[in-house]
Amino acid sequence: MTDSLLSRRALMRYGAYGAGAAALAGVAAGWDRLTGADIPGRDDGSLVIATLGSAFNPEAQRALRDGFREVHPDIRIRINPVQAYDWSDFFSKILTQIAAGTAPDLVYVATEGVQLFAQRLGVPLDRWAKRDAAELRTYFADVHPSLVESMMYEGSLYQLPVEFNAADMYLNSRVLERAGADLPDDDWTHDDFTTLLRAMKRSNGDRFTPYFWTNRLWGGVVPWLFANDTNLLTESKAPGGDWLWNSFYPEAQRRGRGGGYRWTTPLADSDRVTEVYDYLSSLVQEDLCTRPEGGDGRNLVGVFSTGRVGVTPAGGFWAGGLHQAGMKPADYDVRYFPRRRTRRHQFGAAGYAMLRTSKMRDEAWEFIKYTARKDVMTQLFAANQTTPARRSMVDEARYRETGPAHWQVFYDTLDKIPTTGPIPAPPQVNEVEQLLIKHTGTALASPGAVRPALRRLQGDLEKAMEREV
Amino acid sequence: MTNTEIRPVGPEPSRIRRSRRNRGTGQPRKASESTAATTLRTRGTRLLAVLFLAPTVVGIVVFTVVPIVGSVVLSLFQWDVIDDPRWAGAANYREILTDSTVLVSFRNTLVFMVLAVALQLLIALVLAIAVNGQMPKWLRSVFRSAFFFPLVLSAASISVVMKYLFNQDFGPVNWLLGTVGVPSVPWLTSENGAMAAVVLAYVWQQFGFSFLLFVGGLNNIPKEVHEAASLDGASGVRKHLAITLPLLSPTLLVASVVGIINALQVFEQPYVLTAGGPGDSTRTVVMVIYETAFEQLRFGEASAVGVLLFALIMAVTALQFRLSRRYVHYQ
Repeated sequence: MTDSLLSRRALMRYGAYGAGAAALAGVAAGWDRLTGADIPGRDDGSLVIATLGSAFNPEAQRALRDGFREVHPDIRIRINPVQAYDWSDFFSKILTQIAAGTAPDLVYVATEGVQLFAQRLGVPLDRWAKRDAAELRTYFADVHPSLVESMMYEGSLYQLPVEFNAADMYLNSRVLERAGADLPDDDWTHDDFTTLLRAMKRSNGDRFTPYFWTNRLWGGVVPWLFANDTNLLTESKAPGGDWLWNSFYPEAQRRGRGGGYRWTTPLADSDRVTEVYDYLSSLVQEDLCTRPEGGDGRNLVGVFSTGRVGVTPAGGFWAGGLHQAGMKPADYDVRYFPRRRTRRHQFGAAGYAMLRTSKMRDEAWEFIKYTARKDVMTQLFAANQTTPARRSMVDEARYRETGPAHWQVFYDTLDKIPTTGPIPAPPQVNEVEQLLIKHTGTALASPGAVRPALRRLQGDLEKAMEREV
Repeated sequence: MTNTEIRPVGPEPSRIRRSRRNRGTGQPRKASESTAATTLRTRGTRLLAVLFLAPTVVGIVVFTVVPIVGSVVLSLFQWDVIDDPRWAGAANYREILTDSTVLVSFRNTLVFMVLAVALQLLIALVLAIAVNGQMPKWLRSVFRSAFFFPLVLSAASISVVMKYLFNQDFGPVNWLLGTVGVPSVPWLTSENGAMAAVVLAYVWQQFGFSFLLFVGGLNNIPKEVHEAASLDGASGVRKHLAITLPLLSPTLLVASVVGIINALQVFEQPYVLTAGGPGDSTRTVVMVIYETAFEQLRFGEASAVGVLLFALIMAVTALQFRLSRRYVHYQ
C-alpha cells in the first residue's frame, strides 16, 4: 500500500465527517428559520407602510402621517420609504423584507406588480369596499374605470388607484421652433412623427437626438405596440367584478369591464410586433432616436430641458420634473402618442396593496381609504410628480405654474380614448420585463437583427409564462 | 544510512536538557516539576491562542461557512421566499446547466476576468515602476493617493457617472474623441463597446490595489541587484524583465489571485452601466444570481449558480497556486 491510498481508518474517518456534515445540513435545512421578526422589540405595533422612496417627498410623507394620526389617533403608522431605481427594483427590496420576516402591512404597488402581489401576497379588498360602499362612491365617481380595472385580479379588487401615468408624447418647444414645425395635431400618425424627427435632425447639430426613449415595460416599445393594435402578450379579461361595476359605475362606463386583465400567450414574433420593431430599427439606423440601451431616464430631464432632445414619451409626472429643471410652461408641450392602426395608449397606475402577512388588516384598510381622499391626494401630489387618479384634480390650476399648456391630454388619454389600457404585467412581470429589455436591445443592434431577436424573445417569454410564480 | 542524515533539525537533546534549570538558582529542575510547568505553560499559551482566535473563527464560521453551507443546501431546494422550500434535488443544477443565459454569463465573466485582470495588472505595474523612479517625494505621494483614490469610492456611484461619460449621444468621452476626429463610439450599445466600457470602468477603479502592492514589492527589491546589473551593462528594459519581474513574482501572484477572485464576482459595473446588455453581452454570473433570486424569486436556482461560481473561483485559484510553483521566485 502506498501513501496516496486511503487507509481503512482514514476512510472511516472521512465517512464520519461526511455523515456529520450531511446531518448538520439536514438539521440546518429543517430548522425553523430565524427572521427579523424574531428580534425582540422589532414589532412596535405600528401599521407599516412601504412606499417607493421617491414617490413622496419627506414633507408629503409627514403630512400623510400626521393627517392620518388626526383622523385615527388609535392607529400608529410607520412609513418605510424604500429607495429604488424603478418598480422592479422596489419589488425586489420588498420581497427581501418579506424574506427577512419584516414584511410591511401595506405596499405601494404600481401596475407592474399588481398581479404579482395579488397572486402571491395580497389581500382582496372586496369585503371592505362593499362594506364602505357609501363612503367610496365619490371616489369611484372621480376615477376612470380603466384605472380601477387595472387594479383587479381574477374578479377581486386589490388596490384603490391613487395615481397613474399614460405614455403621452412631450415635445420641446425650442426644438420645434428651430425645426420650423408647429405642435402636431391631436391625431398625428407615425408618418407625421417620422417627418417631424427628420426636420428636427436637420435643424439641430450632430449632438442632438430627436427622439429619446427608455427601454423598459412602461414607455419603451409597448406604447408603439398598443398604437399598432397589438401587445406583448395575448390580452383578455377575467370574469367577475360585477359587484364593483354594478355598485359604482353607470351602465355606459361598466360595459365591457371584467374582473381584471389576463395576459397569456406571448405575441413577440407576430407580424404586428415585428412591424413595430422594424419601425424603431429604422429610426435607430437613421439616427433619429437613441438606441435602447442609451436611453436612461435619469439624465433625460437634463438633456430635454437643455434642448438636446426633441421628443420623448412621458406621463404627467414629467411636468413637475421639467418645472424643477427650470423649464417654463411655454418651453414644452404634450400630445397624444402618434397613432398607427389605433390610438390606443398604455398606462401604469399605483395604489396601496394590503399584504396577507398583515395582522392589522382593518387598520390597513382605513389607511387605504384615507389616501384615496381628495384632500390627502391634493397634498401628496402638489408638485406634479405624477397624474392624480381623480379626474377632478387634473385641472388648469394644477398645471398653471408648471405647464404644459395641453395638460388636458393627461386625463383625456383615458376619457377620450377609452381603449387605453394598462401595460402587460402578469405575475411573471419581472422576468417578462427583463426579457423584453434584453431582446429589444439585441433586436435593434443592427439591421436584420429584428426577426431572430423576436423569435428568441418569443421562446423565452413562453418559458417564463409557463413558469409558476 | 548515517546518523547525520537522520539528525532532526534543532538544538541537540543534551542542550535542551541543560536549559531546563530553575530560574534564580540555576539548579536543574526536578523532572516532574519541569514537565508540569511546561505542560501548564503550554496549556496557558494554547488557551490564550484559542481565546484570541475564537472571535475570528466564530466570525468566519457564522459569516462564511454557514452561508456557504446554506447556499449548497438551498441549491437543492426550490424556494420563492414566500412559501416553504421544496426539495428539488439536482433539478436546479440541470435547469441552470441548460439555460443559455447562465452559460453565456459564465463565458462573459471569464472574458471579463481575463481582460480586466490583465489590463489592471499591466497598468498597475507600469505606473508602480514609474512612480518608483526618480521623482520628488511629494509628487510620489500625490500619484500614490491619486491612483488609490478610486478604490475607496462606491462602485455603483462610479458606474452612474461612467454611464453618463460613455453615453453615445451626450457623453463627454465621445465628445472628446470627436474633437480629434474619431467617430462616435457606441460604448454602451454595441456588444464589444459595452464590454470595453465595463472593463475600463472596473479597471479604473480597481488598479489602485495592485498598484499599492507593486509599490511595496518594488521597495523590497534590493537596490544592489539593479546596481550590479547596471554595472554589467543591462539596459532599463532588460533590468525590469530579468530582475524586477522575477523578484516581484510573489507580489504578482497575490495581485493576480485577488484580482481574479474580485473580477469573477463583478456586479456593480455591468449592472449599472449596461444592465447586462446589449442582449446578454455583459451579463455576469453574479448578475444572473441577483436577477434569478431577487427579481424572479428562484432562490434555489440562484444558489446553484452561486455554488458553481464558488467552485469556479476555487478551481481557478488552485490552478494559480499550482502554476505559481513554476513561475514564482522567492528570494
